[in-house]
Amino acid sequence: MTLRQFLIRKLMLFFTLSTLITIAIYILGTSFDPAARFGYDGFLSPLIYAGVCVVPSLVTWSKRELKLRELLLRELLQFLLTETIVLGLAFRSSVIDTSRPAVVIGIAGSVLVIYLLAFLISWATNSAEARETDRELQKFQRLHGVDLCVSNETAQEN
Amino acid sequence: MDVKIRQIGEGEQEQVLICCREVTEEVQEIAAFIRSRQGSLSGVQDEKQYEIPISELYYIESVDGKTFLYTKAQVYETSYRIYELESLLRPKHFLRVSKSMLLNLMKIRSIRPALNGRLVAVLQSGEEAIISRSYVKDLKSALKGEA
Repeated sequence: MTLRQFLIRKLMLFFTLSTLITIAIYILGTSFDPAARFGYDGFLSPLIYAGVCVVPSLVTWSKRELKLRELLLRELLQFLLTETIVLGLAFRSSVIDTSRPAVVIGIAGSVLVIYLLAFLISWATNSAEARETDRELQKFQRLHGVDLCVSNETAQEN
Repeated sequence: MDVKIRQIGEGEQEQVLICCREVTEEVQEIAAFIRSRQGSLSGVQDEKQYEIPISELYYIESVDGKTFLYTKAQVYETSYRIYELESLLRPKHFLRVSKSMLLNLMKIRSIRPALNGRLVAVLQSGEEAIISRSYVKDLKSALKGEA
């Protein structure tokens, strides 16, 4: 994957995260602080959090194709960095009451849920691409006469 | 056995269809002859040289600087380099799917997703081959007849 393709993927991730973070803020806010009121700048917080959460995903960048083990390790590192950054921001924020353990657990839990949902959305996109490619393959094989009838091998010794 | 030859138009795929009640040795021989006319590659197995019909190859892989030809159940070593085979076998529906592998598109049973934007080709032999992300675009183009 080129750096350009990688950054396009990260841009898509940013918009996915913005949506999911907006939902998470709504759920956490109505659960822990339903009386709170915000100004127009409140609309920016999902975008800021999404932008910040995309940064740790840069650890998955590699010019060469990563092996499964390497990929999983980097995904784990990305998740841990995201948790650290989001909780760090929450503890520095004056509007989030981090003295309540339930709030901290709620934020940490929503990072995990958003991380998993973003992963599932990416998997679903990939699956749709695979299904489409599979359909194209079947069409291609029908057109070019796939050989399914006789499978015995006929290599000739010289 | 009746032998019929039917002329077809430009857009149609040339093919030999054998209609038989049973796949006998004779039928196998006819099929082998037709395949041999479609080209073959030389490969070595247990110090013996073989001619392997191209249509029987599932994939070709380069491992530690050596190139291997894989059929359904056999592996042969060849003196060709993978880049040489890539251009040689392109018209025979072989496509590069990773740095070290050429895949026979006619031997893929299905395609399924893998992690990190990659795809997995499940071959008719049951084996699986990873299609690298950087080659997915080429695969799609080839299947649409654009490459």
